[in-house]
Amino acid sequence: MHPRMRRIILLLSVFGPATITAMADNDAGGVATYSIAGATLGYPILFALLFITILLGVTQEMGMRLTLVTRRGLADLIREKFGVKVSIFIFLGLLVANLGTITVELSAIKTTSSMLNIPPMLFVGGILILAFLFITRGNYKLTQNIMLIVSLFYVVYIISAVKAHPDWGLAVSNLVYPHGVVWTHAYIRNYLIIGMGVLGTTITPWGQFFISSFAFDKKMDSDTLSLSQFETYWGAFLTDFFSFFMIVATASTLFANGIKLESGEQAALAIQPFAGHLAGTLFAYGILAAAFMGLIIVPLSTAYAFSEFFGLSGSLDTEFSQSKIFYILFMAQLVVAALLITIPGISLFQMAVATQSLNAMVLPLIFYYLIKLTNSTKLMGKHANNGFQKYFSTIFSILIIIASIVTILAIVFRW
Amino acid sequence: MAFISELTGKPVTDIDGIQIGVLKDLIARTHKEFNHPVVDAIVVQSKNEQSIIPFSEVLVLLATAISLKQNKGGFSKYISQDDDIFLIEDVLDKQIIDTDGARVVRVNDIELIRVNGNMIVSNVDVGTSGIMRRLGMAKLARKIFPSIKKEPNQGCISWDFVELLRHDQSMRLKVPAGKLAELHPSDLADIISDLSHTETGEFLDNLNLKQLADTLEEIEPDYQASLIKDMSDEKVADLLEEMSPDEAADLLAELPSTRSENLLDMMEDDEAKDVRKLLLFHEESAGGLMTTDYVSIHPDLTAEQTIKKLREIGEEAELIYYVYVTDVENHLIGVFSLSDLIMAQPKIKVTEFMHKRVVSVNLKDEQDEIAQVVSKYNLLAVPVVDDQNIMHGIVTTDDALDKIIPTSWKKRLPRFFGTLK
Repeated sequence: MHPRMRRIILLLSVFGPATITAMADNDAGGVATYSIAGATLGYPILFALLFITILLGVTQEMGMRLTLVTRRGLADLIREKFGVKVSIFIFLGLLVANLGTITVELSAIKTTSSMLNIPPMLFVGGILILAFLFITRGNYKLTQNIMLIVSLFYVVYIISAVKAHPDWGLAVSNLVYPHGVVWTHAYIRNYLIIGMGVLGTTITPWGQFFISSFAFDKKMDSDTLSLSQFETYWGAFLTDFFSFFMIVATASTLFANGIKLESGEQAALAIQPFAGHLAGTLFAYGILAAAFMGLIIVPLSTAYAFSEFFGLSGSLDTEFSQSKIFYILFMAQLVVAALLITIPGISLFQMAVATQSLNAMVLPLIFYYLIKLTNSTKLMGKHANNGFQKYFSTIFSILIIIASIVTILAIVFRW
Repeated sequence: MAFISELTGKPVTDIDGIQIGVLKDLIARTHKEFNHPVVDAIVVQSKNEQSIIPFSEVLVLLATAISLKQNKGGFSKYISQDDDIFLIEDVLDKQIIDTDGARVVRVNDIELIRVNGNMIVSNVDVGTSGIMRRLGMAKLARKIFPSIKKEPNQGCISWDFVELLRHDQSMRLKVPAGKLAELHPSDLADIISDLSHTETGEFLDNLNLKQLADTLEEIEPDYQASLIKDMSDEKVADLLEEMSPDEAADLLAELPSTRSENLLDMMEDDEAKDVRKLLLFHEESAGGLMTTDYVSIHPDLTAEQTIKKLREIGEEAELIYYVYVTDVENHLIGVFSLSDLIMAQPKIKVTEFMHKRVVSVNLKDEQDEIAQVVSKYNLLAVPVVDDQNIMHGIVTTDDALDKIIPTSWKKRLPRFFGTLK
């Protein structure tokens, strides 16, 4: 790789916590969901992406601001202001959503194993052991390298998108209003369900806790609030900048040629304009790195939220036993997810849409408390939400609830 | 014995048995002669208003319904005071400091007991049984926990060891420093790492200068810098003098240069000189890690004279276990330990029993090398010399190993991204 390129990517990924969250948001579930969105829906899904980006920026900024001003994590505050029952309820929501996401990550690993001709369960088992070693002994360099590989993978999508010579006018104008397709009943139904998936993979329940834990861990200052605010918006832009090209790359290769996305090999077609006959291998390694990253971060966020909600942190004398609970919680999620992916006949891409939609459905629950907390002038002083933040996020939370209900009905009654 | 979780939401009835509302909160107050807060009033929530009723008006608290001694409107007025503790609003679900375990924990439930007609806060429950009780599974909790755990009170902390933290809304709480005074600075530092900024400010205000300096030394310099940001320059200058010169230099290096220059000017000349010298060196080299508070003596002293001298100058030194022998130009020519000194005959010169082959490190040596030297020779500290073998300071083992074995608050749980900066 060109050294300058490497430097730029490194710069992007170490820009700050918000950027890191944003990058981590595009995990294997993200790649799979964006791929299926581009392949099934074409450019019109980009319209939804624009709003999702703004909502991502607004809500992440809320989480960051909440922690910087109050010096408490989101889970801390929910527990202190709303009590044990609400805490358990939200934690269970988070746990279910995260288990879904972890299952997708593992399912992506299973998919790559068949692309790389390795026995799947052996490979998955090996990755689980690796994940455990990683969190017990992992270091910054390794994390950075994995992030770098994943970022490079995204860049591959950008180059592929350009090389596929898409109709840029159509792509960009679809950001403003969705058009250029026949709005059949089936298309609208898919748009709704996959759109929920795109929402749930871009804005995640764990992401809300992650950003707040990160801000807390870093002991950042509320003096740098405006910088952090800029950073969260920048992070949101960056996430969906990559998502945009992933969708364009898959739309211009798969959707344009009417290829239905069912396997990893087909998803790899999207990066063929760049990678040629190496596309399959490159896709396999790229999604493997993305999956591994998700596999670390998502269960960690559950464990973190658990310790914040139920006060497991901060002890000296029982340090060992408490870390033990922490590690058990981490591994238990991976093991449950590993059991789930042994169910035969489920494709990665179906599972991605299903679990990411589930993520989206948990969001309003978390947003409700996030908005309530950040609206409170008693808690936030002059840093409470302004009108735009308040109304934009509230309106979209309501829209998500409506979309969730319609989606569930559409699936249950096979509309 | 009763738990707050079982009391809240209970109907409150007047003397005729007519319900006037439900129990919302309990107000307790600590009295001088007694550590545990005593319930002074109850907060009753009716449909459209909240009223505070003195505890003296309560006939029965621990029953299916809480009954009062008067009719509505006939209650005496409760006069609120600054040190009122609202048990639910201020304590339940909040983080507290357990001064016995030196940790920050979350309160799941609060236990009350009846003593001479008063209700007294006896324990706070920070365990799983408290959570289960909150979820309405009290019976299940009683069934499970006594059978598993030998101690029935596991997960409970006596109020004697509870230190409340000041939260955003509850300005009325004050942290009495008494219980904290006995904690080890490392424990205090650990607690600080769990607190929010406002709480930390309050917390630090309660420590005396010596405690504060010792505690700050246990915290990472960048976080130290943010903690002292709002302190007055006079106080910080005093603090810096109290801290050992190497720690003071590390802290000053984190501050904006105008402020650190200003602070150095305010410090006593001797101390400021040492610190200025240390500031010249790279943070992770021997020069940056060393402290100038070491003990050195002239070679012509006897063992007896040395002991006398140590009594005079030892107070200032960070470590007196090693005594370094230097000549007029401060060349390092020997070292001996306190045990060498005590075992030696009083009248003989130190040059007779000192070790002449001194293990030392160079000013420019990196931390890794120093750590290796320290562990290879089992030292408590290693002297730092320049290329001419002139002694400049010592690096203590804890400073040498600090980066390699980080202090506990940093490594407590795996961080999302390791030690990403």
